[in-house]
Amino acid sequence: MTAKENTVSDVLEDKKYKYGFKTLIESDTFAKGLNEDVIRAISHKKKEPEFMLKFRLKAYEKWLTMKEPRWPNVHYPPIDYQNLSYYSAPKPKKKLESLDEVDPEILRTFEKLGIPLDEQKKLANVAVDAVFDSVSVATTHKKKLMEVGIIFCPISEAIQEYPELVEEYMGSVVPVGDNFYSALNSAVFTDGSFVYIPPDTISPMELSTYFRINTEETGQFERTLIICADNSYVSYLEGCTAPQFDTNQLHAAVVELVTHENAEFKYSTVQNWYAGDPETGKGGVYNFVTKRGKCVGNNSKISWTQVETGSAITWKYPSCILQGDNTVGEFYSVALTNGHMQADTGTKMIHLGKNTKSSIISKGISAANSSNSYRGQVKVSKNATNARNYSQCDSMLVGDKCSAHTFPYIESANSSVQIEHEASTSKISEEQLFYFEQRGISRENAIAAVINGFCKEVFKQLPMEFAVEAQKLLTLKLENSVG
Amino acid sequence: MTTTAAESTDQAESALLDQHKQFLSETQPAADILALNESAIQRFEVLKFPYRKHEMYTFVNTKDITAAPYVFSYGASVAEDFIKKHVYPGCEKSVLVLVDGVYRENLSDISGTSVRLMPIVEALSQADIKSYLESTVANENDVFACINSAFLNHGLMIDVPEKTQSESPLQILHVSTGSPAGKVTTLPRVLVRLGVMAELKLIVKYAGVQGNYFVNSVLDVLVGEDAGVAFTQIQQDNGDAWHCSKNRIVLDRNSRFHASNASYGNKLTRHHYEVHLKETGAELWLNGVSVLTDEEQVHNFVRIHHAAPHCVSNQQFKNIVDDHSRSSIDGTVIVNEGAQLTVSDQLINNLMLSDNAHADNKPNLMIFADDVKCTHGATIGQINEDQLFYLKTRGLSTKIAKELLTKSFADSLIQTIAFPAVVEDLENTLLKKLES
Repeated sequence: MTAKENTVSDVLEDKKYKYGFKTLIESDTFAKGLNEDVIRAISHKKKEPEFMLKFRLKAYEKWLTMKEPRWPNVHYPPIDYQNLSYYSAPKPKKKLESLDEVDPEILRTFEKLGIPLDEQKKLANVAVDAVFDSVSVATTHKKKLMEVGIIFCPISEAIQEYPELVEEYMGSVVPVGDNFYSALNSAVFTDGSFVYIPPDTISPMELSTYFRINTEETGQFERTLIICADNSYVSYLEGCTAPQFDTNQLHAAVVELVTHENAEFKYSTVQNWYAGDPETGKGGVYNFVTKRGKCVGNNSKISWTQVETGSAITWKYPSCILQGDNTVGEFYSVALTNGHMQADTGTKMIHLGKNTKSSIISKGISAANSSNSYRGQVKVSKNATNARNYSQCDSMLVGDKCSAHTFPYIESANSSVQIEHEASTSKISEEQLFYFEQRGISRENAIAAVINGFCKEVFKQLPMEFAVEAQKLLTLKLENSVG
Repeated sequence: MTTTAAESTDQAESALLDQHKQFLSETQPAADILALNESAIQRFEVLKFPYRKHEMYTFVNTKDITAAPYVFSYGASVAEDFIKKHVYPGCEKSVLVLVDGVYRENLSDISGTSVRLMPIVEALSQADIKSYLESTVANENDVFACINSAFLNHGLMIDVPEKTQSESPLQILHVSTGSPAGKVTTLPRVLVRLGVMAELKLIVKYAGVQGNYFVNSVLDVLVGEDAGVAFTQIQQDNGDAWHCSKNRIVLDRNSRFHASNASYGNKLTRHHYEVHLKETGAELWLNGVSVLTDEEQVHNFVRIHHAAPHCVSNQQFKNIVDDHSRSSIDGTVIVNEGAQLTVSDQLINNLMLSDNAHADNKPNLMIFADDVKCTHGATIGQINEDQLFYLKTRGLSTKIAKELLTKSFADSLIQTIAFPAVVEDLENTLLKKLES
C-alpha cells in the first residue's frame, strides 16, 4: 500500500490504546449504591472532621434535588448512580518510609506510564503526587517544597492537617450545588490533591499529579484544591491515563483554584483516558469535570491549558471568575476526538472586576465518527469597566462522518468593553498536503505537521515536559496504518 | 398567595387551550384548515410556553407575551393618511395592506404587479401547499409561530408566477391598530411562493397606529428554482408594543434570497429566521440592523440549515444599544451531512453606548460535513477613540463626531438595502434616534 492511497481518516485512525492494562492489587471497595450511610462511611473511613461530613451531606441533599444536565451536545445511555461503588482504595498499609515499600505492582504501573517517581528521577525536578484510584500512595519532593513552605499533599491529608484552610476554601469557587456532577463529587469525593503556595513564594518546581482509574466500575471522584497566596506563582501539571474496560467509567472531578493579589497560576492537563472501542464506541471513560478558578486578588492570573485526546465523553469547562481588578484569565485548549468520542468542552470567563482581560484559544479536531463541540461563555458584568476578551475557536474536520460544533455565549452589560470572537471550521487543505508530498514528505507526516501547526498556539503554552508529551500523544493518535 | 412562574405558565397554557376550543367552535373552519389548526395546537401542547432558561429564549424574557388567553383583534378601521404615510414611494401600485392580520382590499393596490392573491384557506386545496404547511406545523419549534398556525384563518397567499418580474417592489404593510383598553394580539400570516425563474422585490413593514398590541406574525417564502428575492423587513411598531415574527424561507436549486432587517425596537421584538437551503446552489444573504434606545429590545434568532452541497450563506448583524436597551443574536448555521463545499459566514458587531444596556450574542456552528468553509465572528465594543479624536482635530464637536460615527456604523448595513426609498426613510428616521 502506498502512502498516497491513505485517506486522511486512515492516518488519523486510533492506535490501540497503549495504556490499556489493569493492575492486579487488592482493593478495599464499598458495595454498590449511594445513600447517606455511604457518605458517612466515606467520611468515617477518612477520619474527617465534622465540618467535612456536613459539607458532604449538604452536597448530597442538593444532589438529590438536581437533574442530570441534558443540554450538552453529547449522547449516552442513562447512568445508574446506584450501580456504582463510591469508594475504592488500595488496602491500607502502614505509613511508607520510602518508595521501596510501595507495592511493586503499583510501581510497575507508574513505570509503564512513565511517571518519574523514583528517587533518581528527582533530577527531573518534578514532584509527583501520584493518585492511584482514590488514595495517594506516594509523594516525592515534599521535603523540598516544605522548605519554602509550599504544601502539596493528598487532600485527605490536608483535611486532617490543615482543616482551617480546607474549610475556608473548599466550595468557595465551586459551591456544593453548582451543578449535578460537582454536587455528586462534593458528597462522595475520596481523594485528590491539595496545594497551598504561601505569600511571596515562587514554586521551585512544577507540581504534577497523575490520576489513574483502576478498579472496574468505580467512579472516581477527585477533588483538587489549590490556593495561591499573595505574590506567589506555581505551575501545575495533570496527566491522565486509564486502563481499558468494557463498561463505562464515570469520572466526575472538581478542581478549585483561588489566586490572591498578584498571584499567578498555570494549570496544564494532558488527558488520554480510554475512549472506547474505535469501531463500536463501546466502553470508555465518561469525563464530567468541573474546573474553576477564581482570581480573588487584584492583578492575579489564572491560565488553563488542556490537551484532550481521550475519554468516550468529555464534559468540561475550565473557567475563570475574574473578580479582582486587573485580573487575567486564559484558556488554551486542544481537543482531539476520534472513533465514537464525544466532546463538549470550552470555558467560561466571568468578568467582574475592572480592567479584567481574558483570552480563549480553542482548537478542535474531529475525526472518524466523533463529535466535537466548543461551548464557551464570556460574560461581562456591569461593573467590569474596560474588560477585554479575545476568543478564537477553530475546528478541523477529518472525514465526512464526524461533526464540529461551536456554541459561544457572549454577554455584555458594560459600555467600555471590547469583546472579539472568531471561529472557523474547515478541513485540512489538500493544497497544503500536496505541497508537503511534493517535497517528499509522507502523507502521514504531512498531516501530523499540519495538525501540530494548527495546535501550535496551545502547545507553546504547555511546560516543556508536557509539550513533548502532548506532541507525542497527538502523533501517537495520528500514526497508523501507513504501509 | 403568590403563584410561581411555573404555575402561571401552566395556567396560561390551559387558558390558551380553552381559547382554541372556543375559536374552533366559533369559526367552524373547513376540513383542511381545521386539520392544520388542530395539529398546531397539539404541537403547542408539546412545545409549551418557554420557561426561564429555555435554550431558545436564553436572552429573552417572554413573560409579557405568554399571558394567555389572548384578546385577538381582526382589524378596526385605519385612516388612509396613516397608510399613505407608510407606503414607500414607488410602491403605490404594488401594496398589500393587512390590518391586524386581515387583508384589506380597499386599502391595497396591486395593479402594478403580476402577483396573484389567494386566501391560505383556499390555497390549501393545492396538494403541495397543503403538505408544506402540514410539515411546517409538525416540525415547528417556535411556540409563537405555533400559536399563529393554531388560530390561522385569515392568512394570505401571494403567488409569483414563473418567469415574471416587476419593476416596482411589492410592499406588504402590516398595520396593527392597537387598543387603549387592553392588550390585543394579532396574527398576520403570509405565504409567498415564487415560480421557476421568478424575481420578486419584497418589502415587509410593520407599523402600529397606537400601542398596546402584540403582533405575532409568520411569513413563509418558497423560492422556486433559479428564482430570486430581494427582501427587506422593517419593524417600526409602536414603542408600546410586542413583536414576534417568524420568517421561514425555503430555497430551491440555484435560488437566491437577499434579506435585510431593520428594527426600531419596542417593548420586545423577536425575529426568528428559519432558512432551508434545500437544493444545490442556493444562496442566502441576511443582514440585520437595530438601533435601540430607552428600554427597547430586539432579539434575533436565526437557524440556517444547509441541506445540500454548494450552498452559500452570509449573515451580518449590527446592533447599537443605548440607555437600558437590550439586543441579542442567537444564530446557528447547521451544515448537514453531505452538504459539502458549503460556504458560510456570520458576523455580529455590537456598539454599546451605555453601561445599562445589554448586548448578548450566541453565534453557533453545527457542522456534519468536512469539506466546508464556515466562519463566524462577534464583537462588542464602543466608539473608537482614535476615530473620535481624528474627527475632533478636524473641528467637529464631540457630540457631532459621536453622532457621525454611530450613524455610519449602522448606515453601512442600511446602505446595502436594495430600495433607495427605504434607505432614505431609514436614514431619516431610524438613524435619527442616535441624535441626542
